[in-house]
Amino acid sequence: MASAEGSVLMDGLRVLRSSIIFGRRGSIIWDSWEMWILQIFILPLTQMAFFAFLAGSINHSASDVQYVVIGNAIQTMSFSAVFSVANITSQDKWQGTLTGLIVSPANRMALLVGRASFQIVMSTLISAIGLVYAHFLFGVSFSGADFTGVILILVITSVTMMGFGLLISSIGLYLRTAMIMANVFLFISLLVCGVNFPVYYLPSWLRVLSYVIPMTYGVSAMRLAISGSSIPELSGIIFTEIFVGIIVILAAYILMKTFEYLAKKTGRLEQY
Amino acid sequence: MISYGSDRNIHRIQAVKASMILTMKNFFADPQWIIPSIIAPFIFTLVSLFLFRNVNGPVLMYAVLGGGMMGMWGTTVYGSGSSIMFDRWNGTMEATLSAPSPLIWIVMGRVIFNTLEGMVNAIFILFIGLMWFRVGVSIYEPLQFSIATILTFVSLSSVGLILSSVYVLTRKAGFLENGLEIPVYIATGTMFPIALLPFYVQGFSFMLGPTWGIDAIRISAIQGYSGFSTGYIPDLVIMCLETAIYFFLSFILFTKVESRAKINGTLGEY
Repeated sequence: MASAEGSVLMDGLRVLRSSIIFGRRGSIIWDSWEMWILQIFILPLTQMAFFAFLAGSINHSASDVQYVVIGNAIQTMSFSAVFSVANITSQDKWQGTLTGLIVSPANRMALLVGRASFQIVMSTLISAIGLVYAHFLFGVSFSGADFTGVILILVITSVTMMGFGLLISSIGLYLRTAMIMANVFLFISLLVCGVNFPVYYLPSWLRVLSYVIPMTYGVSAMRLAISGSSIPELSGIIFTEIFVGIIVILAAYILMKTFEYLAKKTGRLEQY
Repeated sequence: MISYGSDRNIHRIQAVKASMILTMKNFFADPQWIIPSIIAPFIFTLVSLFLFRNVNGPVLMYAVLGGGMMGMWGTTVYGSGSSIMFDRWNGTMEATLSAPSPLIWIVMGRVIFNTLEGMVNAIFILFIGLMWFRVGVSIYEPLQFSIATILTFVSLSSVGLILSSVYVLTRKAGFLENGLEIPVYIATGTMFPIALLPFYVQGFSFMLGPTWGIDAIRISAIQGYSGFSTGYIPDLVIMCLETAIYFFLSFILFTKVESRAKINGTLGEY
């Protein structure tokens, strides 16, 4: 019995490893270098500039502009962690590989997490570049920042938001495409996650959404880390983010299994 | 000769009309694809309105009109790129280019429909903004407002036409449409005065017809609004001149791009 469980674990790890390799190779081959430059350097800059100018135009203080700039630097990871991850199942549909994957006995979670793992690196990089812009172009001071905390929050937020991307990706198994949902959730965090203004500005019914998206905690923790809070001081918000992230990943798994079942039952796997 | 010329014009109008109808049918067959082009303007407008929440009516109206303009821009930028990209995906690119009607007339029909769709988006965004944030609807000069809106619509179509010509040649339409969206919102002063932008960006802003259009729209909609020093009529004249230049450039670009694309033989690549 123990040997059978060990074999399942080893199989899962093998699938995870090969998915990581194929996910990375696939991303590098599929996207052109222009798209990389756009995603890593241009989109974060333009988005941060838009909201920084907007905040500045309402005669907000420099600290308000910095609030917006830091929020957007972190939110831009959604291009990779949410949009790219959410489109994994849709891309498989377009390329005709989804059916082959579904009939394989491979562990689904290992398969999807492996495929999405490259986007963790990408999203961390995108937000790190965003923070560089924040400092050099928008005057955000890092003089009192806890850099260990900053890096830790970047990585944790990338991982948990990747889980959120997987949640949307699972919908793509059943719907014709997850791209529409991916577009919606790419931008919705700008509104509900405290990126540009505190969450309490929102109506209470919308705040519910804020608290189930890990980005809300990541953005808040990043502002605290940059203003000098140490890791022990941040531990509460970091653990909350990890907890919400785990719930989101579990929900993604359950949704994926449900939609896989429904898609098989209704024969919608290849519909796009 | 006269008869030949007039026949040719009729054929061109027929091509534009047929292309518009086909684009409309494609849209209604799968309307979900409108979401990617309106979601960013919609969310950006809502965020802006939350940031503007402590300011008074005219400023909120300024933001709501800017949101509407973003809706029109978003659809123009995405619609122009996607119309060519969908041809590639569906394998209809070669057939479209080998049709007797020059490509520009076919694309013009698509661009006109996309811009019309953008106007519907703009109205939708205006409506949500007005309802959610209870902005008072009072258009200061309704007739001038309507004229400015219609001319801005034409100007946006001309920008869409230029963008489409580039999309015929390149496989990187996705790169361009994603990369251009937010910069055009910034450059045309949709949500904040372009006076805030660095000097070199302002130069680019003034080259975009819709920058003048949104100023004219705001002058006519908001009483006491002080935009560019030029004023309503000069704004429209400059926009019309720039629009004429865009149309002229589009014709030249389409002729060159169409022949180059056929010579390269890489039309269907994506």
